[in-house]
Amino acid sequence: MTETLIATLVSGLLLGSLYALMASGLSLVWTTLGVFNFAHGALMTLAAFVAWTVCVPLGWGLAAGLIAGVIAAAAAGVVIERLLVRPFYGNRNMLLITVMTTLAAMVIIESGSQYIWGARLKQLPPLMEGSVSILGAVVSAHEALIIIIAPAVLLALWAFTRRSRIGRSLRAVGQNQDSAALIGINVSAAFALAFGLSAALAGLSGVLLGSIRFVTPSLGVEPLLKAMIVVIFGGLGSLGATAGAAFVIGMLEALLILALGLYWTPSVLFVLLILTLVLRPNGLFGKAGA
Amino acid sequence: MRPLPLVLAVLAAAALVLMPLVVTDAYVRHLFIIAFIFAVIASNWDVTLGYAGLFNFGHLAFFGVGAYTAAICARVLDWSPWLGILLGGVTAAAAALAIAAPVARLRGIYVVLVTFAFGQLCLQLVLSQSQITGGAEGIVRIPALSIGDYRFNRDFNLAYYYTALALLATSTAVLLAAMRSPFGKSLRAVRDNPDYAAARGISVARQRVLALTLSAVFTGMAGGFYAVYLRVASPDVFGFATLSLALSMLLIGGVGTIVGPVLAAIALTFVNESLAGIRGLEDLRFVLVAVVMILVLRLSPGGTMAILGRLLPDPAPRRAGQALSPRKEDAQ
Repeated sequence: MTETLIATLVSGLLLGSLYALMASGLSLVWTTLGVFNFAHGALMTLAAFVAWTVCVPLGWGLAAGLIAGVIAAAAAGVVIERLLVRPFYGNRNMLLITVMTTLAAMVIIESGSQYIWGARLKQLPPLMEGSVSILGAVVSAHEALIIIIAPAVLLALWAFTRRSRIGRSLRAVGQNQDSAALIGINVSAAFALAFGLSAALAGLSGVLLGSIRFVTPSLGVEPLLKAMIVVIFGGLGSLGATAGAAFVIGMLEALLILALGLYWTPSVLFVLLILTLVLRPNGLFGKAGA
Repeated sequence: MRPLPLVLAVLAAAALVLMPLVVTDAYVRHLFIIAFIFAVIASNWDVTLGYAGLFNFGHLAFFGVGAYTAAICARVLDWSPWLGILLGGVTAAAAALAIAAPVARLRGIYVVLVTFAFGQLCLQLVLSQSQITGGAEGIVRIPALSIGDYRFNRDFNLAYYYTALALLATSTAVLLAAMRSPFGKSLRAVRDNPDYAAARGISVARQRVLALTLSAVFTGMAGGFYAVYLRVASPDVFGFATLSLALSMLLIGGVGTIVGPVLAAIALTFVNESLAGIRGLEDLRFVLVAVVMILVLRLSPGGTMAILGRLLPDPAPRRAGQALSPRKEDAQ
């Protein structure tokens, strides 16, 4: 019994780590620009495919693949910001329009990668071979590494936005663009940086996921949905709330799978979310007016 | 309606009614039937996204609910497919009512997230309940439509063509009438200035619930018809490809016009199908549709109807695309 429970908790921790990595990128773009990037999942797909190309056909190893994938995703993120988001700043329907343009970007990346890489199943090698035992629950070393990497990356991101000058300028832009511009912050560069950083996070989660699941054009679809559930649950307001919600959802999902099985879990999760929203329309940790 | 658009509408309707006399090719008729179905989807989506300003991205879920309702009625329960199509409208409206309860209270991005997640939830349910829904393969061999002994796929889909056209005509007439009525005006009021609308006694939440439910009825029936016509209900209806195709029809046609999405749906179905016939373009045609969608949003947010509106002497269509007009946030 305790073994099952520990195994469940560890798998919840793994899910939570992955969700936190994905959702924090969404939250970063949202808090800085007020844009919800629907192409976030597709950026994961792009990074995983680029990493696969560098790693398997070119044979340069996973480390090179990881770096190439993250850079490709970040570059794509900046391109999306310049071409699909920037022209609509100041538009009163910016929120709705950018949802549609990033949705279009998602279609372009997914159909494009289907065209370039084909539909055949591909897989990335794990970051680390072998398995480790966490309190008696055996997980692969790769998954254990994810559980360590995710909180470390999130902590670094948190420190960056709180402590560093550039990170604080991102938050200033998110709070008030005009005032930020008045005190000499380059708002345009801050937007591009937020998008690039968020896309890099998506790329990292995509490459990490590519060793657990098959790399297909639709790799990012299900994670995007989960990240959306996380941000609905936690509210989009702050990094801490999003990361907290990611771990709550991960744990909840693992426990629900244990109790109800794989099939009913998404539905129950969704109903719980609706109830949360009816009771707290700005998310569980959200503040009113966020 | 002013004289010129009325004349154009009558001419277009007459052309569509007489079309089968000229075009006897079963494939071209098939394209028209699919186009009519998408026209119903896109124009009904316009009610929530265009008129009510409700950021609804779960519209295709209503279509899917209708498709699976008709499929389950006709195939699993062995009821008449006609009844299945009608019930498809009912269950889709019920689904809309269910999702409207939380959505009516939410704002902005949370509406997008919840409606979008709702569509994905429907997909998950269909995939997981495979003993009823057939899982990833879907429900196949749905009984075809017939009246008495006359099966609808005879005479090169002639009867299917007219059924689809009748569905589209009814849906368009109802939507146009509804959007011109005080109800439609109240929807636009809620979209353009919710606080002022509320001050004038319009319940924002109730109008949103009504708009969502209305938009689901014909969409659900179209879904039911789609499943019965193709004789298969597959989970693809919930996918991103269908969603982005329908969205591009709505945007290219012109948000907030009803007629624009209908025209764009018919045009885009033919473009999409002819591109699918070119080797190597099977995947890239979705890229093309997405690029066109972005260009429309950048160059003419009102879609084709706004461009037409500038050419026609009639001031009415110039309101096209007001929902997406690039006004700055200085209205306060």
